[in-house]
Amino acid sequence: MPDPAQDVLHYSATPQDAHQKGRRRWRPQWTARMALIPAMAITIFCFYGFIIWTFVISLTRSRLLPVYKFTGFDQYGRLFANERWWTAMQNLAIHGFLFIGGCIVFGYLLAILIDRGVKAEGLFRTVFMLPLSMSFIVTGVIWQWVMNPGLGLQEAVRALGWAGFEFNWIVRPDRSIYTLAIAGIWQQVGLCMALFLAGLRNIDPNIWKAARVDGIPVWRVYLHIITPMMRTVFFTVFILMSAIVMKAFDLVVALTGGGPGFSSDLPARFVVDHILNRQELGLGAAGAFVLLCTVIAVIAPYIYFELQKERSGRGH
Amino acid sequence: MTKLSKVAALAAFLSTGVSAGALHAQTAEVLHWWTSGSEQAALAEVRKVFEASGGEWVDTPIAGGGNARAAAVNRMLGGDPAAVFQFSIGQQLRELADQGLLANVDKVASEENWDQKLPPLIVKAAKYDGDYIAAPINIHGENWMFYNKAALEKAGVDVPKSWNEFVVAAQKLKDAGIIPIGLGGQPWQERIMFNSVLLGVAGREFYAKLYSTLDDDLLDSDTMRKVFETFAALKPFVDEGSPGRNWNEATSMVIKGDAAFQFMGDWAKGEIIAAGIEPGTTVGCAFAPAIDTAYIMTVDAFAFSAMDGEEATPAQAKMAHVMLEPDVQIAFNKKKGSIPARLDVPADSFDSCAQTAIKTLQDEKTHLVSTGLFGVPSAVSGAIDDSISNFWNSTDMSPAEGQAQFHQAISNAK
Repeated sequence: MPDPAQDVLHYSATPQDAHQKGRRRWRPQWTARMALIPAMAITIFCFYGFIIWTFVISLTRSRLLPVYKFTGFDQYGRLFANERWWTAMQNLAIHGFLFIGGCIVFGYLLAILIDRGVKAEGLFRTVFMLPLSMSFIVTGVIWQWVMNPGLGLQEAVRALGWAGFEFNWIVRPDRSIYTLAIAGIWQQVGLCMALFLAGLRNIDPNIWKAARVDGIPVWRVYLHIITPMMRTVFFTVFILMSAIVMKAFDLVVALTGGGPGFSSDLPARFVVDHILNRQELGLGAAGAFVLLCTVIAVIAPYIYFELQKERSGRGH
Repeated sequence: MTKLSKVAALAAFLSTGVSAGALHAQTAEVLHWWTSGSEQAALAEVRKVFEASGGEWVDTPIAGGGNARAAAVNRMLGGDPAAVFQFSIGQQLRELADQGLLANVDKVASEENWDQKLPPLIVKAAKYDGDYIAAPINIHGENWMFYNKAALEKAGVDVPKSWNEFVVAAQKLKDAGIIPIGLGGQPWQERIMFNSVLLGVAGREFYAKLYSTLDDDLLDSDTMRKVFETFAALKPFVDEGSPGRNWNEATSMVIKGDAAFQFMGDWAKGEIIAAGIEPGTTVGCAFAPAIDTAYIMTVDAFAFSAMDGEEATPAQAKMAHVMLEPDVQIAFNKKKGSIPARLDVPADSFDSCAQTAIKTLQDEKTHLVSTGLFGVPSAVSGAIDDSISNFWNSTDMSPAEGQAQFHQAISNAK
């Protein structure tokens, strides 16, 4: 384990040198540049180009086909007057918070438990990782059966004799959104666990030895020493899970179909539904653009903050 | 005849093999979303006759209506259109016509006098600027009520004739331990039930006026309030497992007698027949309770891409002709569970439910449009589904609030 203090010393000793080294790294050979052109062109055209195109379409009154008759921000007005859109956005916030939070907490706990030297570690790792090999569609269908009040968990427990048992969240409009988080966490927690485990295995054993000498209880070592050292792993997990939340579409389609009513709808499903099924290209594009802006507004400060911290940790 | 058509089909098959890629004058690619067993069997009837009369059929099935419609439009915009494609008739198709992407089949239509033979509402929907841009192949009805006769007998109730009677009967069924309404809790199914209540409580004139004008006063009216109250009164008669259920699962509940009634389109007959039951025997069919007789129609249709110019190519014209031939109409619709789009086709070989429907449609006043795919613009249609479903599934929304939300959603969408 390189001592962080030394690290800082190493970099800050010759700032001039580090600066120049950085500059040189960013001046690739012209052949390399040439090789990058196609990839850059594709990125610029397919990614940024279509973001711009989506925005342009959202300013038109396009329904089935793209037409370029501009109506200003009318589509946004219609979008914001749409109750289903707000339900979907609210659900995104609830689902995002529960799903990311759940994955991080449970993934980290599982990783710690395995890291404590549990027997048959390989078996546990495989068991927790297995759901990841299934698509969200399959996950959705499995959980739809498990949570279906007529044939799933509720019925099974009642059959065992506990007649008053209730677990009908999937058919309750006020609870259905939580079922999404349950199924989502179940599927992704294994991946988070693996990432955290890799992080824990990178911790210098000397830290544990030092902590034992000082007589610090294990939970405090994890809470106050290990966890802060795992910052970059938390960051990675957060970014990965955020991406999954933002594009969450297949899970909700398979699990609840957005229902009951539209109580468990998510923005991505709203957008696809309006563009493909309802021939509301303009409205769907407006939704997609608002979704993008929301993502940027929520994620960008965090990324900036983390990267800034990393840079200042190394550079100054 | 069948032998001949087999030979023709074989010849057609061979010629595809031999002259692969060569543009045959009578070749038509058909893009559709009919992938289930009964749907494919029905379409095969059209294909058989089309090929027997010298056409060559290139089949492009795409599962899912939304996917298929998107694929048809994308291919058109990409310059490689399918000659014949299934589409819903109405606003969206007119938008395609507006862009000059469709060919018309006026020649066939006028030769065969579609104007007289098809229901006027369907004629209107299939035309753009006076030209026929689609060939309607059938009519499905959406205000059917299927019921299990044994379940009704067990609870000692008759088939209700009004919604008040229905609520009384439903309570008796519930007391007898039978689920009164087998409902698939998906927005479009909830809307089908709502429209049946709307028609039953407010009457056919109100229904027609409401959905053709989307008038604010009608949406705000007391009649509409009563519709929402009646609809809300049905909530206790649905089982807990309803949300998200597929329509065919709900149908099989009725077939098994677990549930007594299902409000569904006549495609449910396909499930009933598949279970080995003749519709109208142990599983009965009736129109949903209503103050006057009417038929909420939804139409399957095929449209024609502009290949060269506005006029349909010979292959497209042949397809339009074949689709509306009386024999094809009978064979196709018996397998599909719908009734012929042409009202002059003899009804006697159909099951009793379809015969009732054909007889009902002879009176033009009974003709109503579904809000599903062709009655109203798709944006309005979607808004209707959303707000109905939201009201149905809400535990704390009053009928007045439901009505206000319905009105608001329609105003935003139109």
